[in-house]
Amino acid sequence: MPEADGASVEAAFETLAGFSPGLAGVADPADPAFGLLEVQVDGLDRLWGPEPRLIERLAKALGPILPGSPRAGIAGTRFAATVAAGHARPGEPVHVAPAGDAAFLAPLPAGLLTPDPDVRARLRRFGLRRIGAVAELPRSALVARFGVEGERIHARARGDEIAPFRPRRAPQRLILGLPIEPSVADLEPLRFVLRRIAGALGDQLRARGSAAAAARLRLELDLAFAPPGTPARITVEQRFPEPTAEPEAIERLLLARLERTPPPAAVARLELELTGVGPAAGQQLPLFVPQAARNARLGWQLARLALVFGEDRVRRVTVGDPEAPLAERRWAWRPVAPEESVS
Amino acid sequence: MTRLLREHPRIDAELDPAGCLVAIRWNGRREPVEVCNRWRVDEDWWRAPIARDYFKVVGRQWLALVYLDRVTDTWHIERLYD
Amino acid sequence: MASLSPDVTAALATLRSRWGAAAPRVAGEVVGALATAPLPEELPALPEAAPLGAPDGIVSTGFAALDAILGPGGLPRSTSVALRGEGWSGKTTLALRLVAEAQASGSIVAWLDAGRSFDPVEAVARGVRLDWLVVVTPDDLDEGLSIAGSLLAGRAVDLLVIDLPPRVEPARPARVADRLHRLAALARRSATLLVLLEPPTLRAGLGNAVAESTGLRLELVRRGWIRLGRDVVGQRTEVVIARNRFGPPGRRAELRILYADGGDRDACLGRDELLHGLLDAPSTDAPALHLSGTHNDATAPPLLASSPPRPRPIALAGSRVRPDLRVIPERPDRPRRPALDGRDGDRRERGGPGARRPPGDSARDGTSPRA
Repeated sequence: MPEADGASVEAAFETLAGFSPGLAGVADPADPAFGLLEVQVDGLDRLWGPEPRLIERLAKALGPILPGSPRAGIAGTRFAATVAAGHARPGEPVHVAPAGDAAFLAPLPAGLLTPDPDVRARLRRFGLRRIGAVAELPRSALVARFGVEGERIHARARGDEIAPFRPRRAPQRLILGLPIEPSVADLEPLRFVLRRIAGALGDQLRARGSAAAAARLRLELDLAFAPPGTPARITVEQRFPEPTAEPEAIERLLLARLERTPPPAAVARLELELTGVGPAAGQQLPLFVPQAARNARLGWQLARLALVFGEDRVRRVTVGDPEAPLAERRWAWRPVAPEESVS
Repeated sequence: MTRLLREHPRIDAELDPAGCLVAIRWNGRREPVEVCNRWRVDEDWWRAPIARDYFKVVGRQWLALVYLDRVTDTWHIERLYD
Repeated sequence: MASLSPDVTAALATLRSRWGAAAPRVAGEVVGALATAPLPEELPALPEAAPLGAPDGIVSTGFAALDAILGPGGLPRSTSVALRGEGWSGKTTLALRLVAEAQASGSIVAWLDAGRSFDPVEAVARGVRLDWLVVVTPDDLDEGLSIAGSLLAGRAVDLLVIDLPPRVEPARPARVADRLHRLAALARRSATLLVLLEPPTLRAGLGNAVAESTGLRLELVRRGWIRLGRDVVGQRTEVVIARNRFGPPGRRAELRILYADGGDRDACLGRDELLHGLLDAPSTDAPALHLSGTHNDATAPPLLASSPPRPRPIALAGSRVRPDLRVIPERPDRPRRPALDGRDGDRRERGGPGARRPPGDSARDGTSPRA
């Protein structure tokens, strides 16, 4: 994108953020990497359809923002996707079929595998002119000849991912939304949409080894047939019993909230934001307390029961001052459902 | 183990001429009792005072904890030993 | 939704094994603004819960004498048990000890507090771990059984105690009875130990439902008080196996229940020579009867079993094993329950029977309760 500047690229990132929370690239025109925007598409098929359709949507969204005609490529690895984009024509994205990265790369010049001119020259001297020829060699041979770089070019040639995706920002939140046309008043279609969004966000979390601690669900209401005074938007906030990346658990808890307090009008758009994102802690198996292994699952079940039946029906209890003279001051109820709010 | 009657139901108390608790009426039944222990609680006098005289009483069948609320001058049952 | 061809399925499996979540996914057609994509994978199965109680699924009641007369030495998993007795028979103490034993073996417990009389401090005093206890306080019994059913269906708990209040007047008794039956069946299928605290005043329909839902019924009757000086500090309760689908009924055991209150006096409760037992009606005198065991068909309890044996503490790092009978964590000395003579401060004399003086004691003043 030689014609683009930093501002237009920033604007492009903002637009792309509406499609995926996983974005990488730089907005500084002085940076050598300027001009390459990477979008992580794991799980987005649930929302935007198959990959070719997704590319169309992205290109259409970026058209008014980026000058010139961006070239797009989609593949299983960052290297293959970058090469695909490089070979694309404006308006004609290159879509590498799933499991087809190695086949796509095979006929292409081996020099694409590395930016190192010395390695490129040596590849030529060895008669390795195509990526396919490099892929056919054993890894040990390339490592013996080229060292660490040999391992990299071998992996790239075979379609193996070696460069983990590092998002441009380390977002503390992930957010995705979907319009619902026509608007729906029943919970069943809402559950359907919620499942898709939660699934996409869950995939993003898991791909990064992260978990979310809370959710914010925004419902935009269709006021066409709503009683006067009905708000145009409702926001439901819900903390999780523990950080999670499991879409089903997120969906069930939020659905329990909606079942308890159904929206006052048909819903025209549903947006889910996962907040409090951090590294997912591995499950630490208890050494001495067998119940701890089931505590997480119990927490979710109790949270859901509390939402369905009421927070004052299912509770845990803590003892504060067991020696307090008055019995009523010795203990207190502890809610099982984390704090929540509706606005 | 005691059962805590969270609402602390009201009861009626019978005292002998010396002022000792000898019977209580609860749920329509009169039960002669013996006081086997007693103590006083005074709390938060500078805010909303709590002033209770507790009596552990044993009846024909049960053992209970009752108290006189000296602020409202009412008798209540707090626990049953089960 | 169209099914995937074997080639694509195999390719996806290869991709996923190589790239995990970064692997491409196959999607369906877009319909309007909703994408019909394959449903998410099932959550991985959770590891099976540790077996309730010992490896053979038996839970001790916490009373050796009672365990001895129960065929398997305790209560088997998947059993439904009714503890039937008046509100002063000791059935709540027995249930709490059972909870403590189950938790010590790795169980999570739910207590359905239909009568709203559950006292957490007393539960802790009986060895219950509040971390692994869920308390359900329903609006009515019907709702409570519904919540209990959800807990059992989700295999959330290993032991469910339903504490039925003495007066239950459900709006739809037949429905409640039906729920009880279903709950018992669900408990059997989910291998959950179900314990019903049954007052004898239950209406006929509910009483029958409890009887039909439980395979074991224990009848509890208080046989006498245990005194320390004038104070009543415990009771003797007789337990009879009134009905038993797993063996012959009729066996009996006597339980000794002591009410520890966490003070210095508790140390006296382990000394039989200080305790006195009464058989029936209260008396203004403190008869010098020495407590004797009247155990039928049961092993005599150990001499110092004046309170139910505490479950073996779980060896958590940093924890300390509490001495027997001291059920409340130690706290700095502070005034507790000042005596009625109005003098402040802790008047408890160490090693003595306690600061609260009985009537007639010269330390008391003439204060008397107002009418």
